[in-house]
Amino acid sequence: MPVGRFARQTRWGLIALTGAVLAFLYLPIAFLILFSFEEASTPGLPITGLTFHWYQVLLADSSIQRAVGTSILVALIVTVIATIVGTMVAFPLVRGGLPSPGSLRLGFTMPIMIPGVLLGIGLLIFFRQVLKVQLGLQTVVAGHLVFTIPFVVLIVSARLQGFDRRLEWAAADLGADSIRTLRYIVLPLIAPAILAGALMCVTLSIDEFVITFFTIGPQQTLPLYIYTQIKFGVTPEVNAMATVLLVVTLGLLLLGTGLMALRSRMKARRRKAEEA
Amino acid sequence: MTGEVRDGVGSAPLAGSSNGLLRRAGRAVPALPGLAVLLFLFLAPMLIMFLFSFWRTNPDFKVVPDWNIDNYLRFFTEGTYLRTFFKTLVMGSIVTVAALSISLPFAYFLVRYTGQRTQRIVLLAVIVPFWTSYLLRVYAWQAILGENGALNQFFMGIGLIDKPSMFFVYDDPGVFVVLTYVYFPFAVLALYSALEKFDFTLLTAAQDLGARPDQAFRYILLPQIRAGVITACIFVFIPILGEFLTPTLVGGAQSSLIANLIVNYLRQAQFPEGAALAIIIAGFVTVVMVIFRKSFRVEDVVTRG
Repeated sequence: MPVGRFARQTRWGLIALTGAVLAFLYLPIAFLILFSFEEASTPGLPITGLTFHWYQVLLADSSIQRAVGTSILVALIVTVIATIVGTMVAFPLVRGGLPSPGSLRLGFTMPIMIPGVLLGIGLLIFFRQVLKVQLGLQTVVAGHLVFTIPFVVLIVSARLQGFDRRLEWAAADLGADSIRTLRYIVLPLIAPAILAGALMCVTLSIDEFVITFFTIGPQQTLPLYIYTQIKFGVTPEVNAMATVLLVVTLGLLLLGTGLMALRSRMKARRRKAEEA
Repeated sequence: MTGEVRDGVGSAPLAGSSNGLLRRAGRAVPALPGLAVLLFLFLAPMLIMFLFSFWRTNPDFKVVPDWNIDNYLRFFTEGTYLRTFFKTLVMGSIVTVAALSISLPFAYFLVRYTGQRTQRIVLLAVIVPFWTSYLLRVYAWQAILGENGALNQFFMGIGLIDKPSMFFVYDDPGVFVVLTYVYFPFAVLALYSALEKFDFTLLTAAQDLGARPDQAFRYILLPQIRAGVITACIFVFIPILGEFLTPTLVGGAQSSLIANLIVNYLRQAQFPEGAALAIIIAGFVTVVMVIFRKSFRVEDVVTRG
């Protein structure tokens, strides 16, 4: 296909735009990392000198470590519950058994789309004024479940929608009962979606600020800690922590994709060996 | 095809009987915990917030069930509320327009001119910032937009200005930039999903038949990716209705959006007053969602994140 001058110009324009967009995305993050090495105690330009001092401060800071621990604890509980409960909803939602699945789907979309402030305030009024329960980690977990379960429902539903049910009937014809079919046919095939849902829960829960802000008691999660730091006196320690967080999540991400790639490569090799 | 036949054979004789109903109910059982969460932790709080919005706060900060509609009347009579609400809508609109004008060419380029591998890498690059804290991403902008931030240093460096400009500092332009930054990746994901399914030979065909590029875009491409554009708009616009952090962190005293007013009420323990404002926004969101539910593809964005 001959490429006209107009198309070529458009193309270069689009390449420039893509570069600009990626720069826009990463420039703030680059500054965030840069200032973590800043010598002066207020992050900002110009850089006065480079140091690892703030990473040492970070290592010795026990309140931040407690906050990280709390966040991880909440995220783990939320992820386990939301993944199981959400997956269980996806099956009847896709395969029938629930009245008006269309409205239910919209119902499960609402907690994702409704701004967190509204959900947070609703829960705060509900917990404090109606149920009269103490706010604490259990109310935070409840609050996180409200928006993480829908994510799992939507992600697993999408996968189930494309599921070839003849595989299950084949298993049944070959004598497998429904539990075996679920265990050996269905779950392995939708496992990537369940895993993706679980990963989504972890990241959403660990990063959730607004709903946590309204439903927590005297404890502190990492986002709440960051918030107080940002509001009342920032030191480059916050930047150091941001850098560590970024490196850890990126590392986990790379590790995850690396393991996936390795697994599929090993599978392919095994298949080849069996064929030969 | 075979599937439907088999399903029909399996369930038809039982369909009307109580046995069929029981089986149907049995199949719904796994959904119960999830439905319970939706009912008790989402619908119930929203409903209670609705009831609260008609109550009143005593001078001694007790909420009393003294039914009235003052909390709503205040929204329409006291200038601050309508003004702030209107301002939030304007801010949401221009951020949405900005996000679309960045994301549409970006996603278009990605789908049309790059291979699968590049697409995957670039999309990952768009998603990765989501894996870092939202607060930290907003905070990072203070270093760029602030009085001694990178932007001012840069402009002074090239001699465009000779003292720090306060244009982006703690005011609406800064809020606009940061909101666009935070929400445009959602638009990229939604538009990418839509463009991915578009058959680009249609554009060539249209131009062969004499359409100008802009006509081909307007009459061929745009109608086909309409759902993606609507999804993108919703994913950018709706969260801004609930934004109170960005105005707090990079905005100034004048930058309050409607959600800041809600949070202010809660700080003073005025639950019914805050609830009324929250209900107005929730109602607005619900109406938008219901109107566009046919075109709204939440999966396109969610399953990629």
